[in-house]
Amino acid sequence: MSFATALALFAAVLVAAPIAAHLLRRRRADEKLFPPAALVPATPPTARKRSSLEDRFLFGVRALSILALALLGATPFVKCNRLSLTRQSGASVALAIIVDDSLSMRAKVTPDGDTTRFERAKRGAKELMAGLSAGDAVAIVMAGAPARVALAATTDFGSVNASIDSMEPSDRATDLDAAMRMAADLLKGLPQLDKRVVLLSDLADGTPAQSALTGSGDVTLWAPLPELEAKGESDCAVVRAERAGDRVRVRVVCTPVLSVAKPSESGVHTVAPVEGPSAGRSVEVRAAGRVLRSTQLSASVQTDEVTLDLPGDTANQTLTVALTGKDAIAEDDQAPVSALGAKLRVALVVDPAAVHVETGGAPPVEQALSALALDAESRPLPTVPDHAEELSGYGALLIDDAPGLTPEMRRAVSQWVEKGGVVFLTLGPKAAAAPLGAGFDPLLAGVMHWGETPVPGIDPASFPLLGGSAITFADLSPSGRMTLAPETLQNADVLAKWKDGAPFLIRRPLGRGAVLALTLPLTTQESDIALRPAFLALLDRFVRIARARGGAARVDAGDAWTFDGVKEVKVARVGSKGPNDLIPIPLTELDQRLRATPPVAGVYDLVLDGEHETRVATVPEREIDLRPRALVQNARDSKLGGSAGQVDVSSQIALALLLLATLELGLRAYSKRAE
Amino acid sequence: MRSPVFPIEWGQLAPLRLRARTVAEGVYAGPHRSVRKGAGVEFGGQRSYVPGDDLRFIDRRALLRHDKLMVREFETETDRALWLCVDATASMAYKSDKAPGAKYAYAALLAAALSRVALATGDPVGLGFVGGDGVRPQSASAGREAFDRVVGTLESARATGDANVDAGAVERAVAPIARKARRGSVIVFFSDLLDLPSVARGDLVPLGTGGRTLIVVQVLDPAEVDLPFEGSVRLRSLEGDVVVEADVDEVREAYKERLAELTRRWTRDVEAQGGRLVRAVTTDDATHITRSIVRAIAEAHA
Repeated sequence: MSFATALALFAAVLVAAPIAAHLLRRRRADEKLFPPAALVPATPPTARKRSSLEDRFLFGVRALSILALALLGATPFVKCNRLSLTRQSGASVALAIIVDDSLSMRAKVTPDGDTTRFERAKRGAKELMAGLSAGDAVAIVMAGAPARVALAATTDFGSVNASIDSMEPSDRATDLDAAMRMAADLLKGLPQLDKRVVLLSDLADGTPAQSALTGSGDVTLWAPLPELEAKGESDCAVVRAERAGDRVRVRVVCTPVLSVAKPSESGVHTVAPVEGPSAGRSVEVRAAGRVLRSTQLSASVQTDEVTLDLPGDTANQTLTVALTGKDAIAEDDQAPVSALGAKLRVALVVDPAAVHVETGGAPPVEQALSALALDAESRPLPTVPDHAEELSGYGALLIDDAPGLTPEMRRAVSQWVEKGGVVFLTLGPKAAAAPLGAGFDPLLAGVMHWGETPVPGIDPASFPLLGGSAITFADLSPSGRMTLAPETLQNADVLAKWKDGAPFLIRRPLGRGAVLALTLPLTTQESDIALRPAFLALLDRFVRIARARGGAARVDAGDAWTFDGVKEVKVARVGSKGPNDLIPIPLTELDQRLRATPPVAGVYDLVLDGEHETRVATVPEREIDLRPRALVQNARDSKLGGSAGQVDVSSQIALALLLLATLELGLRAYSKRAE
Repeated sequence: MRSPVFPIEWGQLAPLRLRARTVAEGVYAGPHRSVRKGAGVEFGGQRSYVPGDDLRFIDRRALLRHDKLMVREFETETDRALWLCVDATASMAYKSDKAPGAKYAYAALLAAALSRVALATGDPVGLGFVGGDGVRPQSASAGREAFDRVVGTLESARATGDANVDAGAVERAVAPIARKARRGSVIVFFSDLLDLPSVARGDLVPLGTGGRTLIVVQVLDPAEVDLPFEGSVRLRSLEGDVVVEADVDEVREAYKERLAELTRRWTRDVEAQGGRLVRAVTTDDATHITRSIVRAIAEAHA
């Protein structure tokens, strides 16, 4: 406590002043000598009662006023049980508040409580805001995948509060790493010395074994609400429910079950089966609240596909699939049945002879797609189809180093792309040596040239979409590279560059779809790109783009649908009351592309240039893991603040002082009028 | 702890000697038997000689035996000695703005006037005090100087004492009178009766027995009668350390009723013994009150 604070608090002894004034003002009744005083009945005189009533009010008001003044002078920091931060010597702070709006935040803070983690996080953010003062800056980042900036750093607390108020829970996955990077970036360059990332998350991002989350540089990580942290609760979710004819395929994912080693009588430790969250639970198909079919889950399900046969009269009924019993998150126990074969199908046109690997097996690209488990079905095609209808069942097409495309192929592929398909062309020496009449126009314009590359790999910084794995493309040492024609690059986005600045990967919009072109083939004879870790990330990005373009009628909640070449787009979520209960989803525009992001799992109704489509957003499977990620040790340091931290209540006390002054004036006016 | 001493405000009632004469002259002293001790009377005891005593009654044998002047007293059936007992406690020093003098001063005036009347008819007059400072009780005596002694003693008194605290004050004042007052004597007790403890009534009322006549004169200040204050006041008694806060306007009637009840209670007890209670306010005409007392004596005697 500083000297000034102590001095100001010492002024509180002046509270005795109104008491003294009261005693002085409270004039005693005139005392008179009167021998028969004992015969006079003692009464509380009326006048005195009125006087004392007024005195008491005035006394209380004045005493409170002086106390308030003393507190105000002491720049009060009072301890209270709301979330507040501790300032370093009272200096201003810059906060980047990360609010986790992922599915796992729908779990309750306490098993028998009513408050969800998301609600507590939101309230915590508001409490933090109440403790901020002029000079502080705040940014808000949402940690639901994909991580996104809800509000850039600002000193306008009204905007911050409005942003917090508008937060809604979602069924997204969690992307804490990206959120941390964004938060740190938002704090860069701010003048405040005390920069903090405030993490309001349950830390359940599906990667509990990953390294501990930590601050970066001069940015301190602060996780002030330990009660939010997930505790490995049990949960099962219906991540997918698809109808195929008279059958419903249901995919159920449960939180991991830990095996327990028990010593047997013989002294040998055996792994005892442990009942998981699925024990005793069933999957039910319901229509209008009526259970049509049901099947029991096994006791230790982690991932399971269940198929249920439907009765014959359910063709036009709205079906839902639900799990019986209770678990940590009730919202993911039910999902609408999609009438679509919603899995993304990827067609691969790869020459097995050219891209074979010494270890044998399928071409690397097929193995990679299988290993990634992207919920995509890859289908190798011997050649590019001549008719667009043959491609209609696919959402993505990969063509590896094709020696040009015949006009029929080009027409078929371009028509398919214009309707929303995504084609990935990997270009090598065969593509450069396309015979006369074969080419890639209108997918790629102009003449391409294969030649030696002056640099061994790409600039990792130019390919942020691949994250940390991009570094493995820095030393590819290929035998050559494709040089694209300038006219191809005119309306293309360069997603990655070689180290000399030449395009490595481009994306060209075409109708509703897109063309991706890689300036290297996948054959291991020309480069080892297919063997690098970043290749998996590249394929993942390709599948995501295809999925977003509508190549899949089903995406994870939080993944965006992108609409290229569509003039009129309307997206609405079908509510619980039926097909007519449509909740509009706002569209965003990024890089001149319209996008819509389904925040929660469910059925969505899309209108694309007047044509209705039904798509589905599902619960991300990796979100069904409620084991928390580790935190750096000092992230919960009480020196940073906490629920019992100090809060500057100057403004509240000043307001109270004003009210007291008004009250005293009112009292005086009232008493004068009464007199 | 010594009680505070209050000087007496005589106000318009001074000088007492002249005022008492004036009052006495206006009073008709009714005929009554001679109080002079004479032949055929029974020996009534001896007492010390005081100037003014009839030299014929000096006991020569006692003078020769004890070398001290003693007077022989005789008691006859015509003994109408007048015993005056004046309350000189603190409350009697009270004088309100409208009163001509303190209650003690008024009581002293009445006492002096009565003594004047009694002495004028040859009746001896004795004097006693309850409380008081500088007071000296006097045995009943007659003669020309008796009036001066009574007046001098009354004038020299100052009010002090708390009858509530000193419960024996009344008994100490009354006991000598009770011993000396014979059948036919008249005892007049002057007091406001306000602060006397309940035992005082038990000590005082028996004076009216044994052929004696007890007249109690309640002397009140006009303020004590009317409670003239207004609004909220804090009243402190002079005896008993009583402090009362009250809205006078609210309690005035209740106070008057309590005061009347006190007077009634005294009247009942005194009259039960054949005595009378005369109520006087210091603003009353002293002659009229004295006459009322004389009348009360006559009535009681009848």
